Amino acid sequence: MLTVNNLSIKYQDNSVLDGFELNLEQGEILALLGDSGCGKSSTLRFIAGLDETYQGEVELDGVQLSKNGQHLVAPESREVGMVFQDYALFPHMNIFKNISFGINHLSKSAQRKQVLELLAMIGLEGSEDKYPHQLSGGEQQRVSLARALAPEPKILLMDEPFSSLDKSHKDHLVLQVRQILKKTNTTSILVTHDKDEVNSLADKVGIIQNKQLTIN
Amino acid sequence: MEKNCFKSKIWISVVALLVAMPIFVVAFSWALPEHELWAHFSENILSDLISSTLILLLGVGVGVTLLGTVLAYLVVMVEFPGRKWLEWALFLPFAIPAYVLAFVYLGVFDYSGYAQVWMRETLGIPGFDIRAGSWAIILMFVLVFYPYVYMMTRASFKRQKINMIEAGRLLGASPIRVFFKVSLPLARPAVAAGLLVTLMETLADFGVVSLFNYDTFTTAIYSAWGDFRSIEVAAQLASLLVLVAFFLIYFEKKARGQAKYYSANMANKKPYHATGIKGWLISLFVFGVFMLSFAMPMLQLVIWGWSSVADEWSAKYIDLIASTSILTITAALITIAFATILALPGRCKQTSVWLQSVIRLATLGYALPGSVMAVGLLYGINQISIINIHFGGESINHIIYGSIALLLFAYVSRFMAIAYSSIEASAQQIKPVFTQSARLLGASRMRLIWQVYLPMMTPGILAGGLLVAVDVMKELPATYLLRPFGWDTLAIQTYELSAEGLFERAAIPALIMVVFGALLMSVFQVLDKKSSKSA
Amino acid sequence: MNIKTLVSSTVMFSILTVSSITAVQAATDELVTVYSSRKEHLIKPLFEAFTKDTGIKVEYLTGKGGALIERLKLEGTNTKADMFMTVDAGNLWYAGSQDLFQGVQTDTLKSNIPAYLRDPQGLWTGLSVRARTIVYNTDRVQSEELSTYADLATDKWAGRLCLRTSKKVYTKSLVSSLIHHHGKDKTADIVKGWINNLAATPNAKDSHVMSAILSGQCDVGLVNTYYYGRLMDKKPNSPLKLFWANQNTTGVHVNVSGAGVTKYASNAKAAIQLLEWLSSAKAQAIYGSLNKEYPANQNIASDDVVSAWGSFKQDDMNLAQAGILQADAVKLMQIQGYR
Repeated sequence: MLTVNNLSIKYQDNSVLDGFELNLEQGEILALLGDSGCGKSSTLRFIAGLDETYQGEVELDGVQLSKNGQHLVAPESREVGMVFQDYALFPHMNIFKNISFGINHLSKSAQRKQVLELLAMIGLEGSEDKYPHQLSGGEQQRVSLARALAPEPKILLMDEPFSSLDKSHKDHLVLQVRQILKKTNTTSILVTHDKDEVNSLADKVGIIQNKQLTIN
Repeated sequence: MEKNCFKSKIWISVVALLVAMPIFVVAFSWALPEHELWAHFSENILSDLISSTLILLLGVGVGVTLLGTVLAYLVVMVEFPGRKWLEWALFLPFAIPAYVLAFVYLGVFDYSGYAQVWMRETLGIPGFDIRAGSWAIILMFVLVFYPYVYMMTRASFKRQKINMIEAGRLLGASPIRVFFKVSLPLARPAVAAGLLVTLMETLADFGVVSLFNYDTFTTAIYSAWGDFRSIEVAAQLASLLVLVAFFLIYFEKKARGQAKYYSANMANKKPYHATGIKGWLISLFVFGVFMLSFAMPMLQLVIWGWSSVADEWSAKYIDLIASTSILTITAALITIAFATILALPGRCKQTSVWLQSVIRLATLGYALPGSVMAVGLLYGINQISIINIHFGGESINHIIYGSIALLLFAYVSRFMAIAYSSIEASAQQIKPVFTQSARLLGASRMRLIWQVYLPMMTPGILAGGLLVAVDVMKELPATYLLRPFGWDTLAIQTYELSAEGLFERAAIPALIMVVFGALLMSVFQVLDKKSSKSA
Repeated sequence: MNIKTLVSSTVMFSILTVSSITAVQAATDELVTVYSSRKEHLIKPLFEAFTKDTGIKVEYLTGKGGALIERLKLEGTNTKADMFMTVDAGNLWYAGSQDLFQGVQTDTLKSNIPAYLRDPQGLWTGLSVRARTIVYNTDRVQSEELSTYADLATDKWAGRLCLRTSKKVYTKSLVSSLIHHHGKDKTADIVKGWINNLAATPNAKDSHVMSAILSGQCDVGLVNTYYYGRLMDKKPNSPLKLFWANQNTTGVHVNVSGAGVTKYASNAKAAIQLLEWLSSAKAQAIYGSLNKEYPANQNIASDDVVSAWGSFKQDDMNLAQAGILQADAVKLMQIQGYR
C-alpha cells in the first residue's frame, strides 16, 4: 500500500535520517516513536509532499509520488489526509464547512450526508453550525480527524494529535479514534511521544533510532 | 479606578477632539444653508457626480483589492525567481505622488503621447481618448494605491499559520482555492483596512481627477467654493464625504468582526514553489506591476529631468529640501505622538462608547480634501476669534494664520488615520496577560506604558511615522494654502511647474521627492524585516 | 535655514500653545509682502529687479487665486499682504468686490496703463494682457474656414474640436464674455455645439489642447496666446497657427493679469511704489518676455515673437463683466455638461 524507500533527511548539516525504509499494508495503523528532532514529523511531511529533501521515494497505492527526494505529485493531488498537532481548523468556517472543505466536488446533498455521518461517528451531532473556537480541545481534535477522513484519503497522517489534551480526555479519545480508523479501514501513521497512545491505537510500532527505523 | 478612567477619558478626548476640529467646522457649515446653489447642483450635476464617484470607488476598490492581495500572496506564499527584491520593490510606488504619476502617464499614453503615436504609426491601431470613460483613471488610481492593500495584506499573510494552507492543500484544494477560501478570508481585516485607506484617498483626491478632467464629488466641492464663492456649500458637500468615510469605517469594523486569527508567523517558509515557466510567468507579472507603477514613470521623469536640469536646478532647491524635510519630520513626530496617545491599550477604552467615537472622529480627516481641511481650519479659527471678540477678548487670527503651527495642525488632522491604524494594529497584539502580569508585579500605569506598551508598539509607531512622513512630503493643497512665507516645498514646486505645463522642469522636484520617499520606504522595509524576525 | 531649524524646534515644544511663532520676520528696513497666484518662476525675476532698483525687499507667497482670496478675507485687518497679484479679471473683480483692495490712482499708473485695463476706482490695475483665441493645424485647416468662437459650434467642426476644461478660469471668462455679447440662450447653444463637436474629453491644460491638435486628435482649439508662444519656442516648426477670432464682430476675448494694494496693507506706500514700477516700461518688457504676453503699458512694443503673430481687434467688454457673469457662465456650462 505505502512504500517509503531510502529516505534521508538533514537539518542544516546534521543528518537525522539515513536510508529510512517503510512498508504498510491497507488498513494498518503504524505508530512512529522517537526522540524529538529525530525526523518523525519530517517523515510525515515528506510523505504528504509538503517538504522536499535530497533523497527518498514514496509510492502509494501503486503510484510513484516522490522520487530522489523531489515530489512528482503535489500535496493537493496525493489523496493523503493529515491531522495537525494544533488541528489547523479554519477559524473562519463553521464545523460543517471545515469538514466539507475537501469534498466540495460532491453535490450539496452528498456533502451534507457525509458530514452528518462523520459528525455522528465522532459523537458531535448537531455541532455543524458552531465555529472551532466554540469547541473544546478534544472536540476540535475529533473535527480535525473527521475533516481529514471526509475525502476518504488513501492514507491518514497524524502528527502528535493528542499532545495538547489532558490525560483523562486522551485515553477515551484514543480508543475512539482507533475504532473510527478500523471502521473506515484507513491506513494510518501516528507520530507521538507517548507509549500509552501507541499501545491502545497502533497495530505496528516503529522506533527511529540511529537514523533508521526499526519495526516491532 | 474610577478616577483613573476619568483622567484617561479627559486626555484622550482632548487630543481626539482637537485633531477632529476640521470635521466639526465642516459639520457646523449646515447652520448656514444656501438653497439656491443646492438647487442648481442637485438639479444639474449632483446625480452624475455621485454615479461617477461611485463607479470610481467601485473600480478602484475592486482593482486594488485584486492586485494588492494577489501580489501579497505571491511574495509571501510562493517562491519564484526574483521574489526577494520584488517583495521590496513593490513598496516603492508609495513614494510617487499620485498627481506626478498621472502627469507622467498622460504624457506617455494620451493621444499625443509617444506610446499612442507609436501604436498608430507602427501597429496601425487607431488612436483613442484615454480620458474618455473611467477605465484609465481607475487603472491610474489602482497603480498608485495598491501598495496600501499590498502592504497591509502582506503583513497579515506573514502572520498566518502555514499549516492552515497545508491543511487546505492536503484536502485537495488547488492553490487558487486555497487563496480564495483560506488565506484571503483570514486576511480579511487587513484587506479591509487597506481598502479603507485607498477609498478615502480616492474620495479626497483632486490632483489626478483634475488632470484627467474626471468629475467626482470633490469637483462639486471645488465648484461651490471656486465658482460660486460659497465656502458654506463647499463645506456642506465635504461633510457628505465625511459621512461616506464614516460608513466605510463602519463597514471595515464590521468586516474585522471579533475575530483575531493570526498567531505564529510564517517564518521564511514558502508553501508553494513555482519553478520553470510558471515561476518565470509569476516573476514577469510581478515585475510588470513594478514597471508600470514605478520603474517606467521614474524613467520618464529621469528623461524629462535630464533635459531640463540646466534650466531648473538652482540653489533654491537646498531651501526647498530643507523646508520639506523639516515639515515632514516634525509633522510625522507630532502625528505619531498623538496617535500613540489614542492607541495605547487601556481598560477604559474598551468599555467606553464615548472614547471609541471620539477616536473614530479623529481619524475622519483623511477623507477631507486637503484644501477643504485647510480652509476649514482658517474658518474655524476665525470663528474662535469672533467669539473671543464678542466676549471682550482679542482676535487670535494674526497669531495663528500663516504660522507653521497651523500647517502642522492640518497635517496631523489629515494623516491621523494612517498613523493611528498602524499603531493601533501593534497595540492590539499586546495580549492582556502582559498587562495583568505587569500590574501584579506592581507596575504603575506610567511604568506599564513606558516599559511594556511602548516597546511592544515600537514597530507600529515607526511604520506609522514613516507612512505619515511620505504622505506629508507629497501633500499639496493644504501646504499650498497654509504655509508661512518662505516655506515652499518640493510638492509645491512640482505643482507650480506642472500647472504651467512645464513637465520637463517639474520632473526635477518630483524626482527629488520620489528619491526621498524611496529612502523612507527602504527604512520602513528594514524595520519591517527586523520586527518580523523578532516576532 | 537657521531660522527654520529654530522655528521648527520651537514648534515641537509649543505646538499646543501655538503662540510664539509670529516673531519670524526678517528685520529689514523696507519690505513689501505679496500674495500671488502667478507662479514663482514668473514673478521672481521681476521682484529681484525691483529690489535692485529701489532697495525695497519683496516677500511673496504663491497660491491658487481663490484660496489666496479666502485667506486674505479671513486674515482681515491682520493680513501681512501689502499686495495681491492674480490672473484673470474675474478674480481681480471678486477680490475687489470682497473689499480686499484699496483705491490707488496715481498719475504714473494713469499714464502707464490705459483706463480700460484698470478698475474704475483704482482697486486693481492690469499688468499684462492675454488673448484667448483660436489655434489650428495648418495641415488640415485653412484660415478662411475660421471665423468666430460661435462658429466652432457649427456642424462643420464635428469631431474636430479640442477645448480646455470648463473648470479653468480662462474658459469661464470667455464664456462670460459670450453671455455679455449674445445673452444666455444663444451662449447655451454655442456651448452645446462645442460639446457636440469635441474630439476628446476637455483637456486639463492649454498645452494639452495644442498637443492634441498636433497629433491629429483634433484640428482646432482655443488657447491663451502665450501657451502657443511657449510651444513654438520649443518646437518652431510645428504646423500650428493662431487665428484672431471675431475680427468682424466683437473682437478677440482678452483677459488680464494684475494686482492691487490690499486694504489693510501695513506698507501701502512701498506697495504702491511696486505697482508703479511694475507698470513701467522696464518692468513691462520683462513681464512680456518672461511669459510672451502683451504688455499692459501701451507705450512699449510687444516682445518680437509676440508682435510677429500680428495685431488684432480686442473685445472691448469691460473686464469687470467677466467677474460679474462668472457664476452664470459656470452654471450654464454645468447644465450643458461641459466638463
